[in-house]
Amino acid sequence: MSDLKARPAPDAAPAAPASASRPRPRIRGVGEVAALVVLVVVFAVLNPGTFLTLDNLRTVLDQAALPLVIGVGATLVILMGSIDLSVEGVMGAAGMTFVLLSANDRNGLDLGLGAFVVAVAVGLALGLLTGLIHTLLKVPSFIVTLGVWYVGLGIATLLFGQAAIPFLTSDGLTSWPSDTTLGLPHSFLLAFVVVALGALVSRFTRLGRYAFAIGADEQIAQDNGVPVGRYKLYVFALAGGCSALAGIVGSLQLGAGAANVGIGNLFLTIAAVVIGGTALGGGKGGVLRTALGVVLLTVLNNGLILSGVSPNIQSAVSGVVLIVAIAAAGWAYRGRLRIAK
Amino acid sequence: MTSTQQDPTRTTEAALVLDGIDKRFGQVHAVKDVSLTINRHEVLGLIGENGAGKSTLLKILTGIYQPDAGSIEVNGTQVRFRRPQDSVAAGIGVVHQEQSLLTNLSVAENLAMTASGSRRAGTRLGFYRWGRINADAAATLDRVGASIDPRTIVGDLSFVDRQMVEIARAVQVDEMVGGTPLVILDEPTSVLERNETEILEREIRTLKEIGSVVFVSHRLDEVLRICDRIAVMRHGELVAERRTDEVTEDELFQLMVGRAAQATQRDDRAGGASQTPVVAVQGLTRRGSFEDVSFEVRSGRTVAIVGTMGSGRESVCRALFGAETWDGGTIELEGTSLSAWSTVKAVKAGVAYVPSERRVEGMVGGLSAAANLTLSHPGSTRRGPFLDPRARNRTAATWFERLDVRPSDPSLPLGSFSGGNQQKVVMAKWLMAEELKVLVLDHPLRGLDPGAKEIVNEQIRAACRDGVAVVLLPDTLEEALEMGDDILVMRDGEVTGRFDLSTEAPTSLDLLEKMV
Repeated sequence: MSDLKARPAPDAAPAAPASASRPRPRIRGVGEVAALVVLVVVFAVLNPGTFLTLDNLRTVLDQAALPLVIGVGATLVILMGSIDLSVEGVMGAAGMTFVLLSANDRNGLDLGLGAFVVAVAVGLALGLLTGLIHTLLKVPSFIVTLGVWYVGLGIATLLFGQAAIPFLTSDGLTSWPSDTTLGLPHSFLLAFVVVALGALVSRFTRLGRYAFAIGADEQIAQDNGVPVGRYKLYVFALAGGCSALAGIVGSLQLGAGAANVGIGNLFLTIAAVVIGGTALGGGKGGVLRTALGVVLLTVLNNGLILSGVSPNIQSAVSGVVLIVAIAAAGWAYRGRLRIAK
Repeated sequence: MTSTQQDPTRTTEAALVLDGIDKRFGQVHAVKDVSLTINRHEVLGLIGENGAGKSTLLKILTGIYQPDAGSIEVNGTQVRFRRPQDSVAAGIGVVHQEQSLLTNLSVAENLAMTASGSRRAGTRLGFYRWGRINADAAATLDRVGASIDPRTIVGDLSFVDRQMVEIARAVQVDEMVGGTPLVILDEPTSVLERNETEILEREIRTLKEIGSVVFVSHRLDEVLRICDRIAVMRHGELVAERRTDEVTEDELFQLMVGRAAQATQRDDRAGGASQTPVVAVQGLTRRGSFEDVSFEVRSGRTVAIVGTMGSGRESVCRALFGAETWDGGTIELEGTSLSAWSTVKAVKAGVAYVPSERRVEGMVGGLSAAANLTLSHPGSTRRGPFLDPRARNRTAATWFERLDVRPSDPSLPLGSFSGGNQQKVVMAKWLMAEELKVLVLDHPLRGLDPGAKEIVNEQIRAACRDGVAVVLLPDTLEEALEMGDDILVMRDGEVTGRFDLSTEAPTSLDLLEKMV
């Protein structure tokens, strides 16, 4: 569990004067930024002429868009000390909903913006369902979201049906994510807006602050008058909405409906949250840190591809990076009989 | 509403009237028909042994529990608290026994969290107004005379500062109702050092000017010094109410415990204690914590180590138990020098450690008391790789009786026991080990009531009679003088004084001189 809960005995503190413990660097994330800079430099040297180009920058930003959007919801959930594994299922369900309600070659429906609204609503609803089961039936979020993941995949598979793959027929729609404004791909601009909103929510709204409070200690938060159950619902719904949005953008990038549109995003996002420095126990971290983690992992993947590393090895590399990052983050807290669960 | 039946002058004076409050948890009758009045500008002391029902009563007052029967009246109006917010809205603030601040948030945010929903709430439509929140917090902190930056993260604050923040939070309830606050302090001094306690006492006198205070404590001298009136609870009942000026410490003790205090004189130790030291520490050093610490503990003797914050005495004890490493020097256990020492080896070798943070380090709250008891030393309850639950419950029942643990049901989760009873179980867990040779006690009496203290001290003496070597970190110098055979004084990681109580008779002052 989180080390926050331990309360130091008054005289157990080392003899260090107060000033020594005071300016504990609040500007964390320095390590992550340094790691990013090192990665960029290394890949730039290894791949002169291909890595540091505007085209490749656009590619990286376009690839980062989905995990950035999902990361906002995932961070808030993890800040509360819960976890959301349903990402890929919700993306599938929302993505299929969106494709079948937009101009496509399967049916004659074209709700335009309405398709977007309904798809996001599907995500919100799945998130709300998760939250209700978690808070009312007291089922751990790990289990509920594991179930909802497959429920979402099931919905997507049902919608996909037996017929041919439903392709989006509007070129304007399918090229939207990679089209650029001000030289930046739309998918990234959307992600940027979502991350900015997420950062504001976590800093300036009751929703965000209560997520921190619940993550620090649910019981104390409750005793302080935080309606814990209600805010958990909100956060899970919000996370569902983020996943849905990512599912829509992912479907646009594919240009077709696919139940597994979200594949690979769960690992990437949770890894990014942790590498960014948000504690899995809850209460510590932030949306911007996750964004940094996403960029770090995306640059790593992109650089490995450019450097000619086999895609088969890449997933192993990502896994190693995740474990090293977690071990490094916990390095300072190893002492004092702490037990990892 | 019962106010019509009461003397009218009394109702205007009364800040809070409890009438026939009753609460059961299953078979446990925690609070029995308690009626109590707290006047304005009064400090009421509430005392009672662990498990006497004080905490339950307080939780009813703060809306965490709902009473099964009875009524509560605040400032002449009958109220019903369904949730904590209701009691806050009625002007009741509480400083809980356990820390109840969110350590990852700033001081201001912690204060604002309780204030949300009130007029001054720093949030509008769910949005935080940080400027307002920080300004409000600064004003509240100023009112209780605390010089703390409201933007500091609570986790970075010292212990006494956190306590001040808790008090500030409790006090701000009056700004919500615009009336006089009732502040409940639940054993606020049990974790404070002496000089910090003085700050708190000053604080309470200030609080009395602006409202009423309910002060719960185990330290009877403190209660007598601070309170105007004292209410005594025993076994869930209110057994007595006394004005402070007409009661003595002895009488309070008797009312609380239901028996007379035993003489706390040092009993003459069996002089024939063995001459080979069980523990011999020689030149022990850990950079940044302690330096060149040497002492011996013989079988059946108690070494009390005293020192202020940062003296390094905790670290020395943790090293003994293998929970901390050392850079230089040696520890010998029955003549064998220890190397690659660890907690696992320590347990096997018969070294027991009772930590001060019992909730964090000493117990598994979710397991039953019986399971906790037999956790480290399954001993006779082991059947091959399995544990025999019946044998375990038999063992537990024996120890529950010996230590007078209440409620006397070892199958309840240990987390549900009151603090003092938890400590008894944690102690028993180690005492029952047959191979027990060394007992390291880190503030064993912290937060215990006088009755429980006596029982714990008696257990320590019994362990000594059985030949165990005891290393004790006492809460107070009086405790060191009462329980210790030798006293070691530490300052800034070094040993500054040694007293052998069989030949010397130092006073607290002598010890204090070497400490600071």
